[in-house]
Amino acid sequence: MITRVNLFVVVVPLFLALLVSLAIYYLLRMRKASSATWSDILNRLIEVDRDRIAFVALDLVNETGRQREVGDSEIDPSNLWDLIGGIDGLEVLEKNCDVFIELACYVQRWHPEALVVAEQLRLNAREIKWHVARLKGAQETGNLRSSYPLYAQRAVATYYIMTRHLLALYEQGNLVELAQLQAVI
Amino acid sequence: MQHLSGLDLFFWVASLFGHLALLAVLWLRKRAFEFPLFTSLITMYVGRTIVLFFTLRYGSRDAYFYTYWSLAFVDVLLQLAVVYEIASHVFRPTGTWAQDLRWSFLWLLAISAVIGLGLTWLAVPPTQNLRQAIAIRGNFFSSVLMSELFIGITAMSVTMGLPWRTHVARIAQGLGTYSIIGIGIEGLHSYFGLTQGMQGYTLLSHVRIAAYLVCVIYWIVTLAQEAPESRGMPVQMQRQLRLLQRRVAFELANIKGPRGGSDH
Repeated sequence: MITRVNLFVVVVPLFLALLVSLAIYYLLRMRKASSATWSDILNRLIEVDRDRIAFVALDLVNETGRQREVGDSEIDPSNLWDLIGGIDGLEVLEKNCDVFIELACYVQRWHPEALVVAEQLRLNAREIKWHVARLKGAQETGNLRSSYPLYAQRAVATYYIMTRHLLALYEQGNLVELAQLQAVI
Repeated sequence: MQHLSGLDLFFWVASLFGHLALLAVLWLRKRAFEFPLFTSLITMYVGRTIVLFFTLRYGSRDAYFYTYWSLAFVDVLLQLAVVYEIASHVFRPTGTWAQDLRWSFLWLLAISAVIGLGLTWLAVPPTQNLRQAIAIRGNFFSSVLMSELFIGITAMSVTMGLPWRTHVARIAQGLGTYSIIGIGIEGLHSYFGLTQGMQGYTLLSHVRIAAYLVCVIYWIVTLAQEAPESRGMPVQMQRQLRLLQRRVAFELANIKGPRGGSDH
């Protein structure tokens, strides 16, 4: 017969083991992030076709980031899939967003004066990941084709603006890391 | 009047002086202004040690029990306040709560409480009276709740990409580690209970107190040290960054709007 005591003897040690494992896992991730150098973080960026990103993004927004009028778009929504590279293309952007989140974290840690902008960059990256997560969800429910044009182009446009501002941040600060960043994004 | 062994007396004295030393560090290094709730917790511990010591030595068992549990209730409230203080430091990088935090923190609180209550319900400590059962289960619940909250905050901050400042991390690591050890100790208390006598219970309690004293020493050492210096930025750049941030916010507002359709 299973009693509360029996359950307690099984569940509590398992729960404790789970807590300890989670604590170690996240503390190690935190330590890895805090000890990473600028180059370490940057080396994880995956190269993307910048011209294609700009082409897709600037179809939705102009260079100042203002959304274009409906009807100004030149890209047929049915072509967006090939232009962006489908879900795989978005996953590359998502992986790069993880790197941008780390970059923002790096700036927040070492340049607290840049906190506000770094925080905005972090939120942008998280927003893109949210769009990609929605699309993955749509993929699982079979609604990807209809959802893709709506979310994918916004994700790409947000990505484009975010990278431009990240470059501007480092350019204005005359930060030596700018050259490395320019080469990758 | 309760007789105290040499080891018991050592723990009482070490607790008192450890907390006093920690308070000295918090005030002299000006950490008290950054962590007022944590400082209040430690101040309460000093008062509690003195009050409980004299109640134990010169008061009745009833007096000790009610005093202990009244102060334990205050202890849990202050620990929750410290959790809030830590979360505030981590999730409010710009002075306001991070936008992507949303309801996550409240969910963390709710789920932690439910799991804590569930595990505490499973505990059936063999005791001689209700008072002992309440004592053991109350300590167990408190340890489970605090552990979950600290690990939850750590996990959320890593996922969201929010860094921890040094001293915030040290306070959280100390409290979190002590809480996890507390689960183990109180779990054993819950299993073995008090029907076999006080020896096993007292031994486990001593282990817990020793672990806590290590935690206090950890705080004294780490909070006395300065955090690593940040790399300064020229005033001109700070101004440019503020302008940049205003531009980003404006452009994002544009891009979030629908293209003649409803928003996500």
